[in-house]
Amino acid sequence: MTFAPTPSLPHSPPKMGEGERRAGGGWGLDHRATFRWLIFPPFVWLGLFLIAPLLLMAAFSFRSDLRGDLLQVWTPTLAQYARLAEVGSYWRLLGISALMALGVAVAAAILAYPLAYFLAFHGGAATGLYLVLLLVPFWTSYLLRVMAWKLMLGTEGVINSFLQYIHLIEEPLPALLYNRTAVIITLIYVWIPFAMLPILAALQRIEWSLFEAAADLGARPFHQFTRITLPLSLPGVFAAFFMVFIPTVGEYVTPILVGGSSGSMYGNIIQDFFTKAANWPLGSALSMIMLLATLLFVFIAIRLINLRELLE
Amino acid sequence: METKLSMFFVTRCLALVLALALTACGAPAPAPATEAPPAELTGSLTVLDWAGYDAEDFWTDFKNTYPNVNVNFEIGASDADIYGKMKAGDQADIFHPYTGWLQFYVEEGLVEEIDTSKLTNWDKVPENFKEIGQFNSKQYFIPWDWGFTSILYRTDRVPEGIDSWSALMDPRFAGHLSMWDDGPGAVTVSSYIHEYDETAITEDQLAAIKEEWIAQRSLNLFYWAGEPELVDAMKSGDIWVAYAWQGAYALLLGEGVPVAYANPKEGRNSWVGVYGIRKGTENYELALKFLDSKLAEATGNNVVNLFYYGHSNQDVMTGITDETLKQAFSIDDPAILEKTNFTPNLTAEQRDAWTAMWAEVKAAP
Repeated sequence: MTFAPTPSLPHSPPKMGEGERRAGGGWGLDHRATFRWLIFPPFVWLGLFLIAPLLLMAAFSFRSDLRGDLLQVWTPTLAQYARLAEVGSYWRLLGISALMALGVAVAAAILAYPLAYFLAFHGGAATGLYLVLLLVPFWTSYLLRVMAWKLMLGTEGVINSFLQYIHLIEEPLPALLYNRTAVIITLIYVWIPFAMLPILAALQRIEWSLFEAAADLGARPFHQFTRITLPLSLPGVFAAFFMVFIPTVGEYVTPILVGGSSGSMYGNIIQDFFTKAANWPLGSALSMIMLLATLLFVFIAIRLINLRELLE
Repeated sequence: METKLSMFFVTRCLALVLALALTACGAPAPAPATEAPPAELTGSLTVLDWAGYDAEDFWTDFKNTYPNVNVNFEIGASDADIYGKMKAGDQADIFHPYTGWLQFYVEEGLVEEIDTSKLTNWDKVPENFKEIGQFNSKQYFIPWDWGFTSILYRTDRVPEGIDSWSALMDPRFAGHLSMWDDGPGAVTVSSYIHEYDETAITEDQLAAIKEEWIAQRSLNLFYWAGEPELVDAMKSGDIWVAYAWQGAYALLLGEGVPVAYANPKEGRNSWVGVYGIRKGTENYELALKFLDSKLAEATGNNVVNLFYYGHSNQDVMTGITDETLKQAFSIDDPAILEKTNFTPNLTAEQRDAWTAMWAEVKAAP
């Protein structure tokens, strides 16, 4: 993992023209051919293990039930979608899950920012070490980390025990665990280190000469931050946001562990139809709806943010 | 390139001819009168089972008799999961479903008939257990483990005791209730309470059941998915009253937690786990040997002593002397089985409707 500042394209020797590079690139191969060869394995991989299953799922959502062979020709039907249209609570839950994901993604990105800022500008020689320390929790299982939150929030957990110890409360607070708030808190915690990475990468790309120029022109640190650091790091912040938002909409493990009876998310309903109900057609239809809704949201968000402009 | 290809072709042809010759020699020959001794038998079996059941304790007789047979385990998370895997073409030789889900395997042609004449322990299985694995008067499954479902409660928190399934809906226990995360399970409880015919739930009844469980949700702390989760929460005192199998009851008793297992006036529920052999397996004979040894005594004793579940071998059950276990199985209550409701098999329509009902309970505002 290299997050040390590496010279990106603008830093490379300036006088090397396009023609020279091709001639002296040392590839021994035409660039395009190389690219095709390099793209081939991931392309096959994605095709087999992402695109094909997605298409299969889409096909399943137009199946009337799971009877008979799994792979067979069936008459497409909209029965599953019609059934879902009748159940208002699923749609409502999708909205709630999207709002939760929105909150989690915004909070994780905001909380990760100071971390990334510190690592980028004040980490010094120890930046690598700090980064490793921050990522160490990811070497343990996700389940283990969420279970640790159960120990923190439970009725006999750390927080309740402490509050009782200092006599702030007499009876343990039952509300800490087994509700939506617990799910949100846990998810934010889980995502912060992930959200930090793209922000860190963006901050490390900022050239020092910009700060020097700003200082020469009399800009105070606060102005340097609002005029240089923040705008230039925004692409990283948005990358962090989407990195958290998209998987969180369909989250189902955390709600099972800390959400209780009332903390279910849309992903739990999908999971139930696959693993508890053996109703793959309905589960597939629910998944397709979530996929389309998330894509739509991301599309609108990208339009609003105008990511391309930011990146240039 | 061309020579390589033709070489490949020649070797393929040779291999095919050889294989044909071998089968030709092998097929018409009568089965050898004396089979290889068990200790020398080799081969490989794959079992699709529930987490925990892969422990050697639960197939110890097979392990000891056939030490050179390689047994692999795949783990299924629920009946629906195991069914889904088998349907998707899982190559496990043996799988472990529970009552309620058996007929789907028969209907879909996923299970092979069992040649009970080759099972040496078959006569130790009571007739009513055998019938659970029979469809169209053929034996498709062997019954193996069984147990009760009832209400488990902390006697220190509920000193007055519990005598009805409606305790799961009792506001007095708000925030300390836990229901199993399962639609058909919820339908079962409601039909006991309201005396519905569980095998013929009407649409109106299902709608009423849904409303009942939506109302229950605000009292319920969490829906448990695995027994350890429930045991932990009852031990810590978070949960006072829960839908539970008697494995949880015996575990908590063993740890000295003050708990009791209700005998509701509507009757307890009971379920049976069975083993089936995948249709088309190449290891049919070996699979039969595995199932036969699953019925043997040492394995059965481990099921009873380590998992606190019942075993289909009657000799194992009559041999129980441990007081905790006797209590768990209500062995001393001669009328317990008469008061017990056995889990009926579901139709595909019921399965879909009941599981969808449960999803709507969870998604409800």
